[in-house]
Amino acid sequence: MLPSGVRHKATSARTRRALRIGPHGSFISPDGSPADRATRPTADHIIYNPPASAASVLHTPFKFLPTNDPRRRANLASELFSVSHPASASPLRPSPASAAPTPTSSTTETSQAPPDPTVTSTGISPESFPALGKRNGEPLYKPQHHLTKEDIEEMRRLRTEDPVTNSVLTLAKRFKCSKLFVLMVCQAPRGHKEKIDAQLTATKERWGPRRRAAREERAARLGLLFNGQL
Amino acid sequence: MKRLRFDRWTGQLPLTRAGSALGSTSMPRPGVSVATISPRCTAVRYQSTLQNTSVWQGNPTTLESDGPYEQYKLYEEDDGTDHERFPPLEELPEKATTLPSPPPERALQSAKLAALHARLSLPERLPLQTLARALVDASADEDARFNNTNLAFVGQSLIHYHVAEWLMCRYPRLPMDIMYAAMRGYAGPATLHQVARSWGIEHAAAPGGEVDPGLLQFSQQRVGDSITAFGYRRTESKAVQKLRWRHGLSSRVVFDDDFGDMIDVEDSRAELMARANTEWGNEYTRALAERAFANCTRAITGALYAHAGREAAASFIKAHILSRTLNMTYLFAFKKPTRELSLLCAREEFEPPVARLLSETGRASRTPVFVVGIFSGKDKLGEGQAANLNSARHQAAMNALKSWYLYSPGEDTRLPSEMLTEGAKPWEPAYIDIGEIISR
Repeated sequence: MLPSGVRHKATSARTRRALRIGPHGSFISPDGSPADRATRPTADHIIYNPPASAASVLHTPFKFLPTNDPRRRANLASELFSVSHPASASPLRPSPASAAPTPTSSTTETSQAPPDPTVTSTGISPESFPALGKRNGEPLYKPQHHLTKEDIEEMRRLRTEDPVTNSVLTLAKRFKCSKLFVLMVCQAPRGHKEKIDAQLTATKERWGPRRRAAREERAARLGLLFNGQL
Repeated sequence: MKRLRFDRWTGQLPLTRAGSALGSTSMPRPGVSVATISPRCTAVRYQSTLQNTSVWQGNPTTLESDGPYEQYKLYEEDDGTDHERFPPLEELPEKATTLPSPPPERALQSAKLAALHARLSLPERLPLQTLARALVDASADEDARFNNTNLAFVGQSLIHYHVAEWLMCRYPRLPMDIMYAAMRGYAGPATLHQVARSWGIEHAAAPGGEVDPGLLQFSQQRVGDSITAFGYRRTESKAVQKLRWRHGLSSRVVFDDDFGDMIDVEDSRAELMARANTEWGNEYTRALAERAFANCTRAITGALYAHAGREAAASFIKAHILSRTLNMTYLFAFKKPTRELSLLCAREEFEPPVARLLSETGRASRTPVFVVGIFSGKDKLGEGQAANLNSARHQAAMNALKSWYLYSPGEDTRLPSEMLTEGAKPWEPAYIDIGEIISR
């Protein structure tokens, strides 16, 4: 989190000592004393410390295996009886106490077997990771399914009468539904869409080369992302 | 640009032939009307002729004299070639030069053909004459008794059968459009073209009876009448091409060929065809070459099936076509991956997918990295990383969908065609997916 090169200590030696990072837990022998932590491993166990890499899509997650697949039967026991202890701290910003490697637990876990990349082998439950698009565990928008046929007819009448005053956003707020629902239900009167399009074109013509290029690049990047080329 | 010196080029034709077209490429051979011979064809013939026209013009007496070169009067065209300077490599049978393709008995004398036969480890039962016939495209010889049309049709049926069967058993959840793309990747014309090239098959500059039978022969001017696709001709094919009418997958399954392409779409290639006579290759001639090489691969497979049987053909296809590497993860493209994944989870009665931020770095910097995982209940379905949260979420959803679609029962999946062998174990039903998640 800290930018490199910032000194927080009085001397450079103290800063270096403060920023020193210990070796990974797997490099420390399980029987070693705390003083042994900074030294090389002495035990003859296999060090399993693979570099971080993206999981291959060719490893089918357990949930996607069909019921008669032998891999599902082989992994079922470990799936059912896996110990998932929720982490005490948030995994994104570990506190200094939990960040220090605990040699006994980490080495015994990693030296047994390579973890399945599709399962959270860290023992942290998925709920401890912050969910995207949710506030306090609830989705930002939840459809209520409260509108009746009369409401929808009223919405259509309003939209047809005055599409400028009764814009999509106004109607969505008034009827407490999403903009997408308004767009699904109503159709703007003839000519309104052309007017909006002309306004948008006029706005786009006022863009300079930088903004235009930025927008075009953004759209192209999205296309590359969906084609799997990014 | 330097002028091309055709008279310095060596030819690949075993026989030296020259017409009165020596002086300029626009002049036709004697006895051949201007309409029947194209300038390009003349140039091709021309490249195998005399190095110096003055030599030939100064010494025309060798042809009249009954000296040691009397044997060359075998050729029914006395076209003025200096046979002292360019002796023919082999004696041609009578009227060989008038035939559109080499006569079958010449196959036994071709070193190229024997080398190809040995290089492909073809069995003795496959005679050289059949191999020579597999190298004659329908555009070179229209007679179906001498070209490879029949063999190519058998071969393409076999190749498509084995590839489709293997794909279905190996990747049972592929959507239809990815299946088409994979079929094209393994058995499409571009791939079979490369397979034939990798076998060391070369092509003659122009087809003819005097050409070495070990060279692939096809016309660079026109398409031959060979059947290499099976489907129905659509009445609306022009509108699909020009007006972008809907060309959906359900109709492709019914009407179109094995790659989801429309049958017999006439392209407006008149201009390219006209230029093919004067240029040294354009898009049209490349398409013709690709088609001829692909047909040759199919025809050799078909010939192997005809002479050596089903098992030899199947192992040949496995060795030369199914052994190729195609990265299936590159074939996918999505439009709304998150919605597709939600639909998948709803259909399979999994918990609805939730995107969670697994780790991040440099949120306030110019180059942030976010790692997002998609979970269904306790299970992680996919993981993706990108420079912003939304892209990472899309990436994770796409990875999850790919891992669904690319499920494979294993590398050694049994295929239905393996049941045809003697003493095969009883068949266990292959895994078949219930169908696609969204319609495309």
